[in-house]
Amino acid sequence: MSRPQHRQRRARPAAGIALVAALALTATACGDSGSGGSGDEGSGKGKIVFWDNNGGVRTDVWKQIIAAFTKKYPDIQVEYVGIPIADVQKKYDTAIAGGGLPDVGGVGTAYLANMVAQDALEPVGDRIDKSDLKGKLVNGMVTSVQAAGGQGKEMYEVPTSANQGTIWYRTDLFSAAGLQPPTTWSAFYAAADKLTSASDNKFGFTIRGGKGSIAQALEMMYAQSGIQDFWDGDKTTVNDPKNIAALEKYVGLYKKATPEADLNNDFVNMVAEFDHGNVGMLQHNLGSYNDHLKALGKDKVDGIPLPPSQDGGVRTVVSNPVDGLGLFKSGKNKAAAWKFIEFAASAPMNSLWSQSAASIPANTGAEQDAWINDSRPTKVAMDSLNDPNTKIVQFPYYLPDWNNITKADTEPDFQKVLLGKMTAKDFADELAGKINDAQADFAQHHKK
Amino acid sequence: MTAALVEEGALVPVAAVPGTRRGRRRGRGPADGPPRWQIYLPLGLYLLFTLVPFYWMLLFAVRPDGSTSLVPWPATGAHFDKVWNDRSFGTFFQNSMLVGVATLILTTVVALSGGYALARFRFKGRTAFLIALLCSQFVPGALMLVPLFQIFRHLQLINSLWSVVISETVFQLPLSVILLSGFIRGIPEALEEAAWVDGCTRLRAFFAVVLPMLRPGLVAVGSFAFVHSWNHFLFALMFLSEQDKQTIPVGLNTLIGADSVDLGALAAGGVIAAVPVVIVFAFIQKWLITGFSAGAVKG
Repeated sequence: MSRPQHRQRRARPAAGIALVAALALTATACGDSGSGGSGDEGSGKGKIVFWDNNGGVRTDVWKQIIAAFTKKYPDIQVEYVGIPIADVQKKYDTAIAGGGLPDVGGVGTAYLANMVAQDALEPVGDRIDKSDLKGKLVNGMVTSVQAAGGQGKEMYEVPTSANQGTIWYRTDLFSAAGLQPPTTWSAFYAAADKLTSASDNKFGFTIRGGKGSIAQALEMMYAQSGIQDFWDGDKTTVNDPKNIAALEKYVGLYKKATPEADLNNDFVNMVAEFDHGNVGMLQHNLGSYNDHLKALGKDKVDGIPLPPSQDGGVRTVVSNPVDGLGLFKSGKNKAAAWKFIEFAASAPMNSLWSQSAASIPANTGAEQDAWINDSRPTKVAMDSLNDPNTKIVQFPYYLPDWNNITKADTEPDFQKVLLGKMTAKDFADELAGKINDAQADFAQHHKK
Repeated sequence: MTAALVEEGALVPVAAVPGTRRGRRRGRGPADGPPRWQIYLPLGLYLLFTLVPFYWMLLFAVRPDGSTSLVPWPATGAHFDKVWNDRSFGTFFQNSMLVGVATLILTTVVALSGGYALARFRFKGRTAFLIALLCSQFVPGALMLVPLFQIFRHLQLINSLWSVVISETVFQLPLSVILLSGFIRGIPEALEEAAWVDGCTRLRAFFAVVLPMLRPGLVAVGSFAFVHSWNHFLFALMFLSEQDKQTIPVGLNTLIGADSVDLGALAAGGVIAAVPVVIVFAFIQKWLITGFSAGAVKG
């Protein structure tokens, strides 16, 4: 039943040629470095490619900004590509390694250090100084961007907006229960308790037990403990006894004042529970405000910053990631790309974008716009940030391992704490150990 | 006698086969199998458990924003309109369909040739090749991203749907080849030999005799290739960097923002993504089960 032998003999050279061709193709593919060298300033005209790091949700507002830009600069065409936020870092990493980076891209401080380390981004400090943006960017955000880049005072993105941790609460449920807004921690825990009736499927709070749980847990720990610095020398304060005590109180809410299913809550489930269920309070940032408004209406929801650690005392807030626009080193038309960044970060466009994203604008010219006064949670968050009694705990986003440590490495441990299989102290000690190691590696690397 | 008839696939009087409807009605003894409720109750519960998430998806897709109704009434088409027109799901759908159909055709044709060779020819390295095929299943797609990206870049296939079609086909092939070779081995070689004796070439005999008998296997492999490429996200995200080239799974992911999510639009997108898969399975489920079981047991 086998094929005649002369056919087999004829097939062998063909198979050999195919194999050699495949190997040659693979070999040629290995020689190229993706990040694409130093690029070119270009003519300042022609096409540029822009990757939106939060594609889909912000597509409409970016299309408005791009339309306004092409009206002002008809010689420049902007190709918009929306990238899902959950995979944007993977997409950038693949393009850095394999080629095909855009001219401009949305970059958050959470993964800025990783991209700077791979030499993908152009420093933009000098360009800012020579542009209309000079002196018009919020100082706190500039500091965060500098710190996240890990290269001293150099900036590798132009900040566009920042976020702020917020306690969202259902004003209708609070009024019905005769509760005051949770402006103090004692009021917060009392409300979580009073609004819970598990048998009626009503809960005072929804906790983030799944993806993204660590950033929120840290935010709650520092806000309650009042510890103002992330570092004590070269060791983190994450496992300070005050932070551990705060963590114990926070995880103590699980199942007592939250649904049991919160163990796997990511922000989508958490926001959906709050917006479409009977949950009294939610800890999330300003970015979900528009979702709450759409689902509940302005009369049923309000948001306030996390309370100060002690009544009337200092309010400690953690540095939320700052969003911004990065200019890619490999771009062949950097002049046009920079014009786009400058335009998008200008006061009117930044205001438009921030209103759509429900976040705090980076351009000081946008701070007084009417929509901010109409959006009470945004206004209150901005006021609290400008309050001298507010201290910002700067997270070390500059650590290339920060994302891995606070996500894949530690999220399962947080679930163990919620389930009572790990103590808050062990959790904090383990997390602190990883952060301290990463910091030591970073310091060692930078010493060289 | 009855057992022999059943094995050969011949028709058997219903009353003679234990466990059929008439047989069960007559008695409740151990030989008649469990009472009907013991079959239907767990199945019903399982069905409920499976369908509730779909109900929620449908509910959110047609419920107006702000509504807390547990029934999909009053219904709105606003979310579908939004995703189809504003979020370009019309284009994504077309791209996904092209990728799915091309992957289906390529996978089936190549797997058919490979499967036939493995089933009918004895050649050096055949076993090693089979083992290599099996081992390739353990390599995650994410590991191959950068090499594949570079190869496609050199071939100028980045931003072409062909990059996704080729990657999907390559990753589908090992399982498809193994499945089809098992299926072909189940077809008696004597049938082909009879065709040769009648003057057919090997190719003609293959088309006239083997191919018609392979229908369940082809349906299984083809549908698996289509559904997998329809749902697969990673290659489309990485190899396609133009908005009008993206596919449904990428589009769905863009509906989940960093801090906010449009649940209505997401649910409507989910319904659009699910419909072709449901239709495919509704049409082919009979052949699919036959195909998988036949290919699985005849190695």
